[in-house]
Order: sequence, then structure tokens, then C-alpha cells
Amino acid sequence: MGTEAGLSAGRLVGRPVRRREDDRILRGGTRYLDDIDLPGAAHVAFVRSPFAHARIGGIEVPDGIAAITAADLDVSDLPVQGIEGGEVSADGHPVLAGDEVRYAGQPVAMVLAESRALAEDAAELVEVDYEPLDPVLDARRSDVTMSRWHRVSGDVEGAFESAAHVVRASHSLPRLAPVPMEPRGAIASFDAAEDLLTVWVSAQDSHRQLAGLARVLGRPEDSIHVIVPDVGGAFGSKGAPAPETMAVAAAALATGRPLKWAEDREENFVASYQGRGMEAEVELAFDGDGRILAVRARIWADLGGYLMPTTAIPTHTTAMLMCGVYDVQTADVQVHGRRTNKVPTGPYRGAGRPEAAYFLECTVDVAARELGIDPLELRRRNLIRELPYKTALGWTYDSGDYARCLDLAEELVRPERGGDAERVVGTGFGMYVERAGGQFETAEAELLRDGRVLVRSGSSPHGQGHDTTFAQLAADRLGVTLEDVELRFGDSKEVPRGVGTFASRSVAMGGSAVIQAVDALKEKIEAVAAGRGLREVAARHAGLRAAARFESDLVFSSGAYGAVVEIERSTGRLTVLRLVAVDDAGTIVNPLLAEGQVIGGTAQGLGQCLVEEAAYDDEGNPTFASFVGYSLLTAAEMPGVIAEFVETASPLNPLGAKGIGEAGAIGTPAAVANAVADALGGAGVDPPFTAEKLWRALG
Amino acid sequence: MKPAPFDYRAPASVEETLPLLELDTAVLAGGQSLVPLLNLRLARPEVVVDINGLAELDYLRADGGPLRIGAMTRQVTLERSEPVRRGWPLLHKAVRLVGHRQIRSRGTVGGSVAHADPAAELPAALLALDATLHMRSTGGARRVAASEFFLGPLYTAREPDELLVEIEVPGQPDGAGAGFAEYARTHGDFATAGAAAVVGPGGHAGIALFGAGPVPVRSEAADQALASGAGAREAAELAAREVEGEHRRALCTELARRAIEEAMA
Amino acid sequence: MEINGRPYEGDVEPRTLLSDFIRHGAGLTGTKVGCEQGVCGACTVQLDGEPVRSCLMLAIQANGRSLRTVEGLAADGELHPLQRAFHEAHALQCGFCTPGFLMSMEAVLRADPDAGEAELREALAGNLCRCTGYLGIVEAVQHAAREMREGS
Repeated sequence: MGTEAGLSAGRLVGRPVRRREDDRILRGGTRYLDDIDLPGAAHVAFVRSPFAHARIGGIEVPDGIAAITAADLDVSDLPVQGIEGGEVSADGHPVLAGDEVRYAGQPVAMVLAESRALAEDAAELVEVDYEPLDPVLDARRSDVTMSRWHRVSGDVEGAFESAAHVVRASHSLPRLAPVPMEPRGAIASFDAAEDLLTVWVSAQDSHRQLAGLARVLGRPEDSIHVIVPDVGGAFGSKGAPAPETMAVAAAALATGRPLKWAEDREENFVASYQGRGMEAEVELAFDGDGRILAVRARIWADLGGYLMPTTAIPTHTTAMLMCGVYDVQTADVQVHGRRTNKVPTGPYRGAGRPEAAYFLECTVDVAARELGIDPLELRRRNLIRELPYKTALGWTYDSGDYARCLDLAEELVRPERGGDAERVVGTGFGMYVERAGGQFETAEAELLRDGRVLVRSGSSPHGQGHDTTFAQLAADRLGVTLEDVELRFGDSKEVPRGVGTFASRSVAMGGSAVIQAVDALKEKIEAVAAGRGLREVAARHAGLRAAARFESDLVFSSGAYGAVVEIERSTGRLTVLRLVAVDDAGTIVNPLLAEGQVIGGTAQGLGQCLVEEAAYDDEGNPTFASFVGYSLLTAAEMPGVIAEFVETASPLNPLGAKGIGEAGAIGTPAAVANAVADALGGAGVDPPFTAEKLWRALG
Repeated sequence: MKPAPFDYRAPASVEETLPLLELDTAVLAGGQSLVPLLNLRLARPEVVVDINGLAELDYLRADGGPLRIGAMTRQVTLERSEPVRRGWPLLHKAVRLVGHRQIRSRGTVGGSVAHADPAAELPAALLALDATLHMRSTGGARRVAASEFFLGPLYTAREPDELLVEIEVPGQPDGAGAGFAEYARTHGDFATAGAAAVVGPGGHAGIALFGAGPVPVRSEAADQALASGAGAREAAELAAREVEGEHRRALCTELARRAIEEAMA
Repeated sequence: MEINGRPYEGDVEPRTLLSDFIRHGAGLTGTKVGCEQGVCGACTVQLDGEPVRSCLMLAIQANGRSLRTVEGLAADGELHPLQRAFHEAHALQCGFCTPGFLMSMEAVLRADPDAGEAELREALAGNLCRCTGYLGIVEAVQHAAREMREGS
């Protein structure tokens, strides 16, 4: 069932309501982690490995310096999440390095001092006896596999043997740094009398931090209080708890002193887990009419030195989506996650979906050129047309209208190709289907004495505007105004235990839980209301509350992106002339905010195409330790973006919503890559599409 | 990242400043290049000598002869100066592209010259304009032509005990045109490469490239070609002839061509 | 020094950055720190009305000077046209970069309210945002420029 009666016609739902969060931000009233000063707290700096791979012989701390090493902490390694139908190794990230370091920047020891500057001074004096080892930097040549997944469906061999055409293409996506504008950080304070450890952490939610802390520190969960303050962006990088957060918490327990760690930008570049870093060889078998008979894909993922809790997840996601939007039931997909001496990878906006869309869609365009069929026509011959659709690889796509998305993208982008002596122009498209939501989410709704309703949500915002979006949902359900709804997020003692914010799940899951909690509260209110208004009821029945736990299978957003690009022959400079984003995220609760998510995502997708690459040198040293080595796009580079929504409601939640948070980052790279290949007359180039690469490709 | 500890001096005059300058001191002018190095602990001077109090070095004088730029002139001041825009348009075109507005509010002309980043705009423009750098020390005064000043990346002819006090730019002939072109990955990045060009009547020509090697480069061959009537493309090719790396050379050639064409227009 | 019209004082080491003094010495945490390299612009404040990177100044250099931070942008509590325009155009998401953008662009628009889109985009290049993709910010700045030109 799609949207319930009254929802799509809501007074607030579906409207571009401006955000309530803004006033505080605009006036400078935000409190991110580093804005919090705990009296008496010592400041932390980490001693980090300068080597990509080394054994540690010993650590010498001069007198007068307060330092903590692995030997001083009674903690376990960070846990590792498995992947369904696959295997992961036991390479959990240690809190502080033991007798080995596996990447440059890995935290080895922590130093406490009265100020960050003094802590950095002290950190320089700690002597670590490193015995450097040769680093492994090429995932395909690494002989250590840390994650593996393989699925075969149907007679793949037979399909390839009988195929009229077989198309092969190789693609490589370098690692990217998430670069939230606010780096990571944590503050920990232990109250021995209450046996309560309080941890403030810049994170995507309190739940995973809490679970991770409890496990690593070996403490019961109710003895830990996690508070997530304002968060300045995350994009996946603040989801899994950081080893540094664990170290700070453990050290606060060990020393009894409150401790503050506010990461600086250099640390964030070097030590925060990265995204992408996958290579693929894709083969498509076609019949004589351009119908895909089978998909075969081999994917190698550069996982870094350890498995962070969520490192293996993007590899699994990429593999599961290798048939994309196409009606193909015969597939053989395997992914090998290999260990290298680099910082671990993990979920970064898109988290496996951009890779799948890229690998498949770029290969489809190669096929179009080889088969002599228009790329859009080739797609149209193969699109899934009836949903729900059970894929060969295991997931079931719940809803979508892929053909409509593609038609709209084609119409809006106004394809263009050609060129002259000075420039060459190309057009490309990229389609995607992506998994969102899943698991469960929680909410509680409570009637306050003044007649307002307080909603506590297990979702946790870091820029998405949940306070406004969820208030829209609740207000419409209750028939009240936005001002009558208050939201609470991010404090483990204030919100019900939930799952958190990642995988574009907040509206579909968090929003649905809010609706269910509010509906349940409404029932309770109506049971005692006897015709009276909310304010009257509240005077008598303040504290009336209801809880909800909304569970659902994954929902699948989809879309089609189109790009027109121009390459200047004399320099190789790439300019994106037009970018169109057509996304189907089901019901859109707030189109203003949804579009903001799309545009933000496209900027990151464009960054991946134009300038971003987290490259290590031959010795395993990061070349991206500052903004000089790692570029971000500025306002001057952003093209106009046309964002449109197709709304096919999901049957899996009362909102009919899917997810929009990552779409821009998922669809853009494939579309731009295909446009570049079109402009180059078919030459395959991997991103980032630097001027030098394009200039050489143009010959 | 926080700087390593240092002592701090804020002299009130050039006379007070000179005795303070030695090997382990760093001169703090605009701070836009020095402070990032301090913050990364890549620069660890024992003493930071803050010369922002030297108002006597903050001046722009164009009295009908050469342009005299006090070393402490803020880049934004140079950018906003009408006389500079009219008389030395190349400087105006170059300084507008330095960093961002916020950088130019504090960054100084002298600081950019003394820092000598190979990707910097002002050193190349000054090279194309045949500027002279004036320095002072307790031992006296010295002047060095721009063509002899830039010795390597972040390395100049200035000795540690010398203070750059003035940049002198010869007057330009009437009818001289200026052109400036650069390429950067994004508007937030340092330039990858660029070209500064002046072309004027009577064989007056100066083309300098930056980002083309360890120092800004002026090509006599290109200047002479232009002076004897060669076209922009030919002169550009000569200017970039020695640039290493095929793409970098192509880039420099193209940027030089654009700068020269702009100057000839 | 004076910040937003009020005096602040403190003892600092020479190496204390102005950004740290503003935030932890004066307790005005509206100004954020994103890189300490002068690239991201989150720390932008106004020194005698000119936009500067507070992470690239030593606190001691601001001795006796007059600063304005985001907390001082709203006059008598009323939002500046730029702040209102950001809100209208959804030009902020996580908000971390927002104070830096406001302090940079208020100065730019004050100096040149007639700046066209290309000039505005160039001016905006001095501040990084990872959330919005900038288009909302461009719209907000253009809208505010129009309003300021029309003299409200």
C-alpha cells in the first residue's frame, strides 16, 4: 500500500517547508564537539605511525609526559560486522597499535596535556621504536583477503558461450576522502561514584557508538551515556566508532580525568576511513537483439590495513547491485576485499552503490558502442519494467519506474555531442538502483503539559534537516502546527535505542517510526479526550506516551542521471555543461530538503569525477594530508543541476518513502564518465578526469 | 595542528627590525603563507618577527616614474589601486587571482615575493615587468633584479638577515598591453601553471611563466620573437619550450598564447 | 580587542591562533575551525570590516583591533538579509561552514552589491561546503545582493 489517505494531501508533508534548525545556526549558536569545553578536561593528541607498515619494538615516554599506549588499556579490538552470504576475516582495528602498525597515520599512543598545543609538543617527544616493513599498496597484488563474497545464479557459462556478443570492460575507482567540514572528535568523562561514563562524540548516531563502546571497553551498555551534539557533516565517516574515540573513553576510565580529543584536518585526512577504492572487470553477454543474457563481474576492493566495523559492507553492496536496473537473471559476481597498508575504507556517501552503478553503466556504454546501438536504446531494451522484481543476486526491488526516469533525464539534459577545433562535447547517462532503509527504527511520542508533543527519534541528524522533516510528519498526523512538535535526537538516555542514520534510511525508517508512534499516541489521546482539544487533554494527561518500532525490508530508490560535458582540446580541461538528476525516492516529504540532498550528493559525485583522489605514494605515505593534496570543488565549479523527482511509492512503509540522501553521489559519476567517454569517442579513462588524462586521451 | 612554541617580537620600525633577523627567525608579514607552515609544524622558527607594525613599508608610490610598492602593501590594496590598474595593468590582473579575497586582505606583496612559491602569480608578473627588489640589513642596502631573485622553490636571493622593503617596477611605455592567464584544478587550488605577458610598442615584450618549474621563468627567445613581430602562438611555443612534462608544456604554451593575445589586443 | 563591539582580553602565548582565542578565550564559538590552513574558510571573521582567516592570524596580532564574528551579524537580534536569504534558499545543511560564508559574503556584498553571478561564484570559492553543493548558497547570495541593492 502506498501513501495512506491524508498523507499525500498533508498540509505540511510534500511542502518545501523552511528549516527550523536554521536560526540557531545562522546566529552562531551551534555546539559542535570542539565548541564544548568541559572544565578540568585534559587535551589529547595522538602519536601516529609515520610508516605504512612496521613492527613496533617498544615505546619510550620521557618523564613528565602523560602518555597512554595499548599496554595501559584493557580493551578489545573494534568489532567487525559480517556480510550476508560472505566471509570476513578477524582483522578488527586495535584501539591503539600493539606490536604492529599497518598504515601511516595509525594511532600508536595518546598524550594528555593541558592544551592541544602542549599535547602536540609532548607527542613529538614520545619515542617509538619502529622497524619498517615493505608496504603492500596494490589491492590486486595483495595476498591477504579480508572479505569475500561470491554468488552464481543461472547458467552463466552457457550464456556466455551462446552469446552473440560478449563485451568486456575494466574500471578503477580510486579512494576518496569524505572530508566533512567538521573533523571527528570525542570527549569522555567518567563519574566513578555513579559508575557512569559519559561520551560526547561527533557521530552519525548514538546507538553504534554506544554498542561499540560497551563491547570494546567491556562495560554494560547502561553504564555508558552517549551524547551526540551538533554534527558538522559525516557522509558515512562518523558511523562506525573511531579507534580514537575508544582510546579517549578507555583513557578517561583509566585516569579518572575528563579528556577531549578534537581531530584536526590533517588527522581527518589521514586517519578517517575512506570511500571507494575498487576495481572491476565486467563482462556482459548479449543476444543478437542487444538483450543482456548474463552479467559476470570480478571486483577487487582496497580495504586498507584493518577491517573497521563496516569496512566490508560497501563491497557486499556493490556486488549485490551488479545487475542494476536490468532484467537479467543469470549472473556470476564475486568480490575480494584485500588488505593493503593504507587507512581502512568504509561507507562513504553511496557506500558501494556508486561503484556498482559506475562499473555496470560504463560497461553498458562500451557495449552500446561495440554493438552499434544507441546507449539509451540499449538500456530501454533491457530495463526491468515490472516491479517488485526479485534479482538474481538476492535482493528484491520493491518499486520503481526506471523507464520513466530515463525518459525524463533524456528530455531534460538535451543531449549534445560533437565538437570543433577547440573543444569536444559528449553526453552520457547513468542509471542506478540503490538499497535504502532496512532493519528497524524507533520513536516515542509524549504529550507535554503545554499541549505540545515531544517526539524522541532513533534517527540522528547531521545536516539533513530531520527536525523539520519529522515535525512535518508528526504535525500533519496530529493536525497541529510545526511549533507544537518538538524533536529530540542523539542522546542515548533521551531517545529510544534505534539503528541510526546511514544508508539513506531516515525518512523511510525514522519517519515511519515517528508516524507510528504519533498515531499510537493519538489513539491514547482520543481514548481520554472526550471531545476536548489537545491543550485541555494535556492539562490532565501530561506524560501520556507511546512508543513504536518500525521494521522493514530494504527499499530501493532508483534514478537516471544525464550529463553533457565539454573538453577543451588545448588543455584537457573538463567542464560539465549540464547535469540532470532524476531520482525516484518514493514519497517526498520535503522537496526543498530532498533537492538539497541531491545537489549536495552531485557535488560529491562531481568531485569524484573532476578532482578527488586519495593517493598514496610508493612508500605508502598519504599525498592528501591537507587541502593542498586533496581538492574539493568550490562554488565556482558547480554547474547548474536540474533535479526532478519521480515518485513511485514504496509498499514497504506507511510513507511510501525510499531514500534520497545518497542519490546524487550514486548517479553522477556514471553519467559524467559516460559523457566523457562519449566526448573522447570511446576512450576509457578512470576518474578523476584530470586535464592531463583527457589531453592525452585526445592525442 | 598548533604551532610549535616560538618567541615573538613586534618591532615598530625597520631600524628596530633589522638586528632581529637571522637564521632562526621568521618574518611574519601577511601570514597567509607562513602561518600554515607554522600550523603544520613545517616551519619551526625560534623567533617570529611580526612586521605588521611597520607602517612605513605600507605604500604605493607612482610619481610619474617607476611604481614603488612598499613590501607591507596588502594585496587587496594593490588590487584596488586605480593608478596601478592604469599604469601597470599586469599587476592588477595578477593580484586579483592571488588566493581569495580573505587571503588578499592580509597577504602582502612583499610576502608573496619573499615566499617565492613556484605557483605564485606576483613573482611571475614582477619578472615579466623587470622589477627590482630592494632589501635592507644591518649591513646596508641591496637591490636585486627579479630575474636574479628567485632561485628555487621557496628560495630566494634574500639572506636570512635581510628584509625585503620595496618592490620597484619600471614605468610601462604608453600603449603597452598586459595579459594574464592561469590554470588551476579548482578555484580553491594553487595554480597549476600560468603566464604573465606585457607587449608594447618599440619591441617592448616580457613573458613569464609560473608553475612551469622550480622558479618563474622568463624566455628571452620569446621576448625577442615578439619584439620582432612574431605571432602569439610562435612566441608562446618559444616561451614554453623548456618546460618539462608534455602536458605541462602544452598547458604553459596555451596559457602563454592567451596571455600574449590579451596583451596584444 | 573588541569583538562585536564588546571588549575582550586575555593572556595568550605568542603561538595562540586568533581562531582559538575567539572560540575558547572569548567563548564565541560561532566561528568554526575546519583546516588551520587558510583553505576552507570556516574561520572567516571580519577585521576592521575586511574578511580574514582567523586561523592564519596570531591572537596577539589582533591586540587593540576590532573584530566582527557571526554572533555580531544580526543587528539588534534581527537577521541580516544574507542570513534570511540563506534560510529561504536552504543554503545550509550541517551549518558548520555557514558562519564563514556569512562573514565572507557580507563583506563582499557590502563592498560590491552589484556583483554578477560569475563574480559572486568566484568570491564564494574562498569558502568550502561539503553538504549543500553550493547552488542554494549562490541563490541566497544573489537574492541578498538584490535586497541590499534595493536598499532595505
